[in-house]
Amino acid sequence: MIEKIFTLWPEITLFVFTCVVMILGLSRSLSVRRLCAPLSAAALAIAGVLALTTTPDAKGALPHLPLFVKVLTCAVGLVLLLQLAGTADRGYETRVARGEAFDPLRSTRAEFYAFFLFSLTGLMLCGNASDLIWLFLALELTSLPTYVMVAISADRNSAKEAAVKYFFLGALGAATFLYGFALIYGGTGTTDLQGIHAALSQQMATGGINSIAMAGLVLSVIGIAFKIAAVPMHFYTPDVYQGSSSGVASMLAFVPKTAGFVALILVLATVGWVSTSPATHGQLPEPLHSLLWIMAALTMTVGNVLAVMQNSIKRMLGYSSVAHSGYMLVALLAGPGPEGASLTRNGLSAVLFYLIVYAVANLGCFAVLGCLEKTSSDGKSEEIDHIDDIRGLISTRPLLAWVMAVCSLSLLGLPPLLGFMGKLPIFSTGLAAGEIVLVVILGLNSAIAAYYYIRIAKNAILEQSPVRPAGEEIRDAAVPARQFAGIIAGLGTVVLAIIPISSLAIDGGTFRHSRSGVTNSPAQTLPAPVGSAEPATADAPTGPVADATVPPTIAR
Amino acid sequence: MNLLSIAPTLAQGPMPTEMGGATLFHYLLVSAIMFGLGLIGFVTRRNLIIMFLCTELMFQAAGIALIAFSRFHLNHTGETFVIFVLTVAAAEAALALALVVLLFRRKETLDASSWQDLKG
Repeated sequence: MIEKIFTLWPEITLFVFTCVVMILGLSRSLSVRRLCAPLSAAALAIAGVLALTTTPDAKGALPHLPLFVKVLTCAVGLVLLLQLAGTADRGYETRVARGEAFDPLRSTRAEFYAFFLFSLTGLMLCGNASDLIWLFLALELTSLPTYVMVAISADRNSAKEAAVKYFFLGALGAATFLYGFALIYGGTGTTDLQGIHAALSQQMATGGINSIAMAGLVLSVIGIAFKIAAVPMHFYTPDVYQGSSSGVASMLAFVPKTAGFVALILVLATVGWVSTSPATHGQLPEPLHSLLWIMAALTMTVGNVLAVMQNSIKRMLGYSSVAHSGYMLVALLAGPGPEGASLTRNGLSAVLFYLIVYAVANLGCFAVLGCLEKTSSDGKSEEIDHIDDIRGLISTRPLLAWVMAVCSLSLLGLPPLLGFMGKLPIFSTGLAAGEIVLVVILGLNSAIAAYYYIRIAKNAILEQSPVRPAGEEIRDAAVPARQFAGIIAGLGTVVLAIIPISSLAIDGGTFRHSRSGVTNSPAQTLPAPVGSAEPATADAPTGPVADATVPPTIAR
Repeated sequence: MNLLSIAPTLAQGPMPTEMGGATLFHYLLVSAIMFGLGLIGFVTRRNLIIMFLCTELMFQAAGIALIAFSRFHLNHTGETFVIFVLTVAAAEAALALALVVLLFRRKETLDASSWQDLKG
């Protein structure tokens, strides 16, 4: 048990820094308060280096997943930090600068940065999860801070409305996957992921997974769908993205989504993608396969069709976030493929790689929105949002216009850009797994998506700037860090397409198959109380009814 | 470690007589009904606090299922899980009430349908 702690140095570092940031942000001295952002950056950098140097705990079915998640979190977290600069407390700090006394109760800077780091810590812990309890806590640690961040990201009613919608649906999602986890525990007798895998493979070898465990898996997938904004739980996405400020919105598109996909991979890996021979593509057991198939098809279609009708760029990106989850679900459904599969055959690697691709391009789009401001109807300045606001951006701010165009075209998946490199493995794994219909739906959806992504790009770089009446001009937001974030993301979509960064994702998706029934020895991996309990089901307080629904499944 | 290895034996033995007739099925039934009621309440009610209580109901339904399974499997994992679930539920309650107060100060109502500026 104690050696598990040693694999957690990055998380521990991040957590310690988080606590420091939370206290420093309340200081009365402006120069100390200003330390929040640099300290957060330092924390992420140190955690990233630690993640690369710490030997990961390579026991599970996905030995390299923790490393991938940690490095990705730290790298994208640093860019997100640039983009989140100036989000918290900007109005309040100007009032303080004018002579108002600083009141720590009214300041939100400390919470904002601390919660940002908490959320990233949760994401890193998700990758490390080896137990359902751990996974549940990590997912909650990822999500709970983001609800607060949405609420304090902007001082307008829509941000509060977004926070409440996000929170309530989030709680519903959490309750759903928690119930699912409880049923998985009920059906297998353990919460240890390897133990569950052993128990489920034993059940599959002897007449199928029992109905309680299967119901648990289905509920978990539906609950986690909230985190990735997939169909039964996608309603909040456009509202929340529109209501929160652009930095927070791009964080929401990365952090919970990545956590959700990692959790889905871990949960589905306990069932495994079963194949008849080592050379062929495996498939999920039946109810799960159909569920994910329907989810993937609906998620893509709903996301893209509704995105076409939007005029608000943030809503468009919100629906596009839904659609991209659908694409990734296709690869997730395809599964890891045969032993030692490359990126084009291994669906899990394809998902992980696409998470990078999506994060970079999406970040660029939101960064551009965060860089520009206009005066809203009630006289306050707010971020631009309407599609007309970026019309003719090329004539006034060519750099931002190109970032916007390149990033939206990368989201579309236009060939030389990173988005194409990400989408290709999704298509090929889908085909390799024999999901022809799903791949056709994916292709059609990419065509629909072309309409709105090209519309964004065209508005930014091809249109003439309209004459805007006085008071409605587009201004630069006085936060240069956001422009850096945009430029980094814009460069990323071009440069990363040339550099072979996918090797990390290929490693991350390496799936250790165990085909011949129970290959893991659960006696070593189960926690002590379970391992030492006798299979005393005869003594268990169960009547004949319970025995009929739950066969004794304490695998050891 | 010694304590942990003898712990399972503490859970064994017959149920107390007052609960003699209750099987795992009954506990699961209660928990499923609670979960269903929470879900229905969440979808149909528009009062923010009641909606929040409905999600709490769903959390506690999972808690009941976990404890029942824990007894059924004769290990303590489920009970441990419940402790964590209670903690998270408490954190969530704090957050929910803070948000509700924040909203109430702005519009003086708890009706969810009065907050519908974002749509399309």
